[in-house]
Amino acid sequence: MMGSAVESPARSDVRVRAVASMAIRDVVTAPMGRALVLGGSSHAVWLDAGDEVIVVSTADATRLPNGVEIPLDAATLPFDRVRHGELAAVGSGRIELAGLSVEVARWWDPRPALPRVTVGALWRAISWLPGSVEGIDPAPMRASLCAGSPSGLLAAAESLLGRGPGLTPEGDDYVAGIAAATRALGGAAAHPFAVRLIDAIEVPLISMARRRTTTFSADLIRYAVNGGVAAPAGAFLRALAGRGDVGESHRALLDVGHSSGPALAAGMVLAAHCLVISHAHHFGGDQ
Amino acid sequence: MISRVEIHPGRYHDSVRLMQASKALQGVAGVTDALVAMATELNLGLLADMGFDMDAVSVAGPNDLLLAVRAETEDAIAAAHAVLDDALTHKIAPSGGLDGPDPKTSCSAADRNSANVVLLSVPGEHAFVEAMEALVTGRHVMIFSDNVPIDQEVTLKEFGVANELLVMGPDCGTAIVNGLGLGFANAMRPGSVGMVGASGTGIQQMCCLLDDAGVGVRHALGTGSRDLSEDVGAIATLQALAALDRDPSIEVIVVISKPPAPAVADRVRAAAAACTTPVVVTFMGETTLEEGAGEVLALLGVAARTYGSWEAVQDDHRPGLLRGLFSGGTLRDEARFVAMPALGEIGKKEADPGHTFIDYGDDEYTRGRAHPMIDQTVRIDRLDAAAADESVGVILMDVVLGYGSNADPSAELVPSIERAVAAGAAVVVSLCGTRGDPQDRDRQADRLRSAGASVWLSNAAAAREAARLATTRTTA
Amino acid sequence: MSDLSQLLDSDPVVATAGTEMLAESIEQQGSMVSRADWSPPYPGTERALIALAADGRMPAANSTAIDRMMSVRPSLVDVRVARDVFGDMTDHTLFHAGPPLEWERASGPMRGAIIGAMLYEGLADDPDDAAARAARGEIELSPCHHHGAVGPMAGVTSPSMPVAVVADAAGDGVSYSTLNEGLGKVLRYGAFAPEVIDRLRWMDGVLGPVLGAALRSGGPIDLRSLIAQALQMGDDGHNRNRAVTSLFLRTIGGVLVDGTDAPVAQRQEVFDFIEGNDHFMLNLVMAAGKLASDAAAGVAASSLVTVMARNGTDFGVRLSGTGDQWFVAPAPPVDGLYLGSFTEDDASPDIGDSTITETVGLGGFAMAAAPAIVGFVGGTAAGAVRRTLAMYEITMAENDAYQIPMLEFRGTPTGIDAAKVVRTGVLPQINTGVAGKVPGTGMVGAGLVEAPIECFAQGIDALAGSLTE
Repeated sequence: MMGSAVESPARSDVRVRAVASMAIRDVVTAPMGRALVLGGSSHAVWLDAGDEVIVVSTADATRLPNGVEIPLDAATLPFDRVRHGELAAVGSGRIELAGLSVEVARWWDPRPALPRVTVGALWRAISWLPGSVEGIDPAPMRASLCAGSPSGLLAAAESLLGRGPGLTPEGDDYVAGIAAATRALGGAAAHPFAVRLIDAIEVPLISMARRRTTTFSADLIRYAVNGGVAAPAGAFLRALAGRGDVGESHRALLDVGHSSGPALAAGMVLAAHCLVISHAHHFGGDQ
Repeated sequence: MISRVEIHPGRYHDSVRLMQASKALQGVAGVTDALVAMATELNLGLLADMGFDMDAVSVAGPNDLLLAVRAETEDAIAAAHAVLDDALTHKIAPSGGLDGPDPKTSCSAADRNSANVVLLSVPGEHAFVEAMEALVTGRHVMIFSDNVPIDQEVTLKEFGVANELLVMGPDCGTAIVNGLGLGFANAMRPGSVGMVGASGTGIQQMCCLLDDAGVGVRHALGTGSRDLSEDVGAIATLQALAALDRDPSIEVIVVISKPPAPAVADRVRAAAAACTTPVVVTFMGETTLEEGAGEVLALLGVAARTYGSWEAVQDDHRPGLLRGLFSGGTLRDEARFVAMPALGEIGKKEADPGHTFIDYGDDEYTRGRAHPMIDQTVRIDRLDAAAADESVGVILMDVVLGYGSNADPSAELVPSIERAVAAGAAVVVSLCGTRGDPQDRDRQADRLRSAGASVWLSNAAAAREAARLATTRTTA
Repeated sequence: MSDLSQLLDSDPVVATAGTEMLAESIEQQGSMVSRADWSPPYPGTERALIALAADGRMPAANSTAIDRMMSVRPSLVDVRVARDVFGDMTDHTLFHAGPPLEWERASGPMRGAIIGAMLYEGLADDPDDAAARAARGEIELSPCHHHGAVGPMAGVTSPSMPVAVVADAAGDGVSYSTLNEGLGKVLRYGAFAPEVIDRLRWMDGVLGPVLGAALRSGGPIDLRSLIAQALQMGDDGHNRNRAVTSLFLRTIGGVLVDGTDAPVAQRQEVFDFIEGNDHFMLNLVMAAGKLASDAAAGVAASSLVTVMARNGTDFGVRLSGTGDQWFVAPAPPVDGLYLGSFTEDDASPDIGDSTITETVGLGGFAMAAAPAIVGFVGGTAAGAVRRTLAMYEITMAENDAYQIPMLEFRGTPTGIDAAKVVRTGVLPQINTGVAGKVPGTGMVGAGLVEAPIECFAQGIDALAGSLTE
C-alpha cells in the first residue's frame, strides 16, 4: 500500500455508512492508501489493499471476516460502475470506489463468542452431520487432528490447499473450517491440546496458504486460524456449542457460496468430531 | 430406493414453472428421478415410462398437480418436498418499478426486511396494538413512545417473557444491540460489557465513560423508565439480566436505574448476585454512574482513570446561585446527588428558591417540540435568562451526543455561552459522548471550551466542579 | 430461562413506525431499516383494537379462519331449480344481493329486478302491479347470503330460476348462484323488458337442464383450477372473466357434445350462449368464493371478513368472529366509465354480491393479473399492480392457489382483516359493474369502488364486544 493520502479514484455519487469486520480494522483505519479492484459481482467487490484483501458487499450478501457491508441490496446495483483493475482507496475509515463512497460507522467481531460446552453435548450436536464433501478424503486430516499432530495436520493441509475451482477453492474452505472450529470449539470445550495444536500450526499454515492459494483465500485462512469466520459459519459454531439451532444454522451455512459453505461446514464438523474422539482418548472416556 | 407419487388436486401451475421445479428437484442430493407436472395424459405417460407406480394417479386429471420422486432415502424425499415448496411458492420481491405502496403498519414494514426488532415511536395510546402484533409475529420490540398505560406495559412484557422476546420500553430512549444503537445512542466499539438500563441518559453516560477508558459495549438493553416500579416489577430488567448472563460474549454486566421501588431493587440485587457473570448495580441515589464505571473497569482489569476534561479558567466568575439546565433526567439526578452535600437542597422546579437543577426533557417542557437533546431552544432560552440574571453565578448543563441527538449542539450553544461568560457567569458542561459519535466529540468539546465553558465527560465530575465554583465564590 | 440469543447473537434488523429520526439514525450506523408509513387507526376504533390485542385470541383465530378459507376446493357439481335446493323458499320468496332490505329502501335497479322476477314468476300482471304488490309486502325478501347463495348486481333469485350447485371436494360445504344472463339489458341490472323475461324463461327451460345433465354425466368441474389458470391468462375473476369462461367452455364442451340427451339445437344454443357471454363464469366464481368464505365463518375472535355485499342501498360486511351480524353503511357511488351517453348521474350506488370475489382474493385484489381491463377501471398497468400490492396491507395470506405472474407468481392478497382495515385506513378495492338508477335501465358502466370503512369499524367494535360474552 502507498503510504500517502491519495485522491478518490473517481467522483462518488453514492455515499453510504457501513459496518466492517474488526479483522480489517487496522487497514481500514490506517491513513488512506491505494487499493486495486480484483473483481466483483452484483453483491460484492474484492479489493487488494496491500496487506489484505477486503470485500465490500451488499447487505444481502454473506458477511465475511474481511468484509465491509453496505446498507444497500444488490438490486440497487451499487457496484455498477466498479471495474476490474480499477484503482480504489482504503483508509481513514473509508473506502472509495467508482460511484461509491463508503464510510465505516460500526464494527462487528467475526470471532463468535462460544459458551462452555461438554464433549458429550458437542458429540450430540454433530454426530449426524457429514464431516467431508465429495472429492475430499478426510482420513489424513482426521488422523492428525485426533492425534494432535501439528506436522500431520500441515501435511494434510498441504494436499488440500488450492484444490478446487473458484476464489476460495473447496480445499481451502475445508481447511479454514477445521482451523476455526479447532480454535473456537477447542477453547469452548476446554480441550487438553486443541488450542495448543492450532497455535503450533498457525504461522506455517498461513505461510503455506500464501504460497499455495489465492491471496483472498489465504487471508480467510489467516482469520480462521484466529477463530474469525463468515457470519453464518460463526452462527453454526455457536449452535454446536449449544447456542442456537444446529440444523437451521447448518442449512444456512450450506447455502453460502457455490462450494464454500458445504466445505466450511464439513471442515467444522470434522474438527468437532476429532475434538470429541481425542478428548475421549485423553481422558479414557466420555464426560 | 423409495418411490413416492402424489396428486394435489386442482393445484395449477404453468408448465414452464413446473419444468423449473422438476429441474430443481433433480438437483437434490439423493434424488434419482423426479417429475412435477400437471397430470395430463402426456405427463401420465411420461410417469409410466419412468417406471413409477400408476395406482396413485388413476383418478388424476389435467387440472391436478402430479408429483413423483424416486430417491435413496426418506430424508431425500423430505428434502425434495422442501425444494418443491420453495420452487412453487413466491419469494422474490418484484422489481423494476413494481414497488407497492409503503407499508402501513410496523409489522408490514418488518415483513419487508425480515426484521427481528420493531422500533415504535407512535403516540403512546397507539403503541400497544403495534407492539402486541410485533410480539405475536415473533419480534422483539423497543417502544420509544411514552404515555403507554402501565397495564399495557405489563401485558406486553409478560407476553415477551413467555415467548422469549424482549420488550424494551415504553419510554425507552436508548438501547444498543450488538453495537447497533437504537434511539438516542452513542457509537460504541464492540466490547464485552452488557448493560441493562431503565434510564436512557444513564446508559449513555456509562457508555461515554467506558468508551473514554477504551472499553467497548456490546449490548445496552433498555427497559423503559417504569420497569423497576412496583407495578411492573422489573420484568424486563430481570429477563435482560438473565439473557446477558448467558451471553458468552459478555464479561461484565451493568444494571442502571433511577431510584427503584425498594422491594423491586432487592429482587434485582438478588438476581444480580445469582448471575455467574459479575454484575455492577448502579441505582441512582445510592451511587453515581462514575463509580459504577469504575467498578466495571476494575472487573475488566482496566486501570482506573480520570475521565476526559477540557477546562477553562473561570475562577473569577460572579458569585451567585447554581443553575442546572439538563436534557437528561438521570444526568440531572446524578448531578444533584453529587452537588447536594456541598450545596444543600437543590430545587427541581424552576420556581424553587436557591439552586435549581431542571430536567428540560420532562413532559412539562417538551409539549409541541422535540426532546431538548434535539431541539435546544428552551435550554438556550433559559441559558440566556440565567446569563442575564445577576443572582446566578454558575450554569451547569449537559450536552448529549450520539445518534439521534442534535447534529451540532455546540454551534447553537456557543453564542449564548460566550454571552454568559462575558456577563461574568461560569459555565460548566457535562459532555456525554464517545469518540465515534457522529458529532465529533472532541471538536464539540474544543468549541465549548473556546466559548469559555469547562467541559467534563463525567457528569459527576462536572457537577463537582460546578458545586466547587458555586461554593468558592459564595463563601469568598 | 430464555437467553434471547435470537436478539443478541447478530445485528438486529429493524423496522420502525413513528419518528423518522429513529430510522435515519439506524441508517447512519450502516444498517438498512424498513419504515412504516404509519397513521392512527380510524377514530373510535382505538379501544376495540386494544381490547382485541390484549385478549390475544385473534391471531390464532385468524390463522384458523384463513386456513379454512384457502383449503376449500370448489367443484361445480350440478345445476338445479332454486325452489328445489332452498328448503325455505316459498313461491313468494325472492332472494336479493347484499344485506337485508325492504322494498321501501330498495334502489332503482333492485326494484327493477324484483319487478322483473315477479313478472317472470307470474306474480304480477305488469310492472306497476308488481311494484304495488311488492310495496304491499306480498313478496318475502331475503338476502342470498342467508341461504349459502350469491347473486351479482341485484342478485335477485326466484323459485323457478336454475342455480349452480358448487360443492367442496375437500369438505361438506355447498354454495349456490344464479346463472349469468350476459351483459346489456338483464335482470340483475334491474331491467325487466320482455326480452329479459324471455331470456330467463330460456335459461330455466334449456340452459339449466342441459348444463345440469352435462355436469351430472361429465362433472364435477374443479373451479379453483380454472380460476387459477385464468388469473395467469389475464382475468381478475370479477370484471374480466373471458379466460375462465373460455376454459369452462373447453372443459364442458366434450360433454355438451355427447354427454346429454338434449336435442342438438338446444346444445347448440347453450354452447352459443356461453360462448357469447364473457361473464358467464362470474356467477360460478362467486359461488366458489361463497363456498370458501362460508368455510371460514364462525371462528370466535377472528377479524376475517367473510362477506362484503351491497344491495344498492347499503354496503354490508360480516366477520368470521361475529356470526350472522351485518355491519352496514350507505353503499358508495362507483367511480366508473360509462356506456354510450350514460353519465354518473344515471348510476345507482354500488350493488351486488360479486364483492365475494374480493373477499376471497380475486377481483380488485387480483387487479395486477388483469392488465387488459386496467383502462376500463380507470388506470395504467402499473396502477393495477399498485392496487393489488396495497391489498397485501390488509389481508392475512397470500393465496396458495391463485397467483399473479407479474408479481413473480406471488399469491393474491387473500382474506381481509377488518382490524387491519381500520388500523391502516387502506380500503378494500372493488372492481364492479354499474347499474342505472332508474328501474328497468340495465347496465350503464363499470368501475371501481372502495368498501366503506364504517362497516369495518362497526365490525371491530362488535368483535371486541364478543370477547367477553
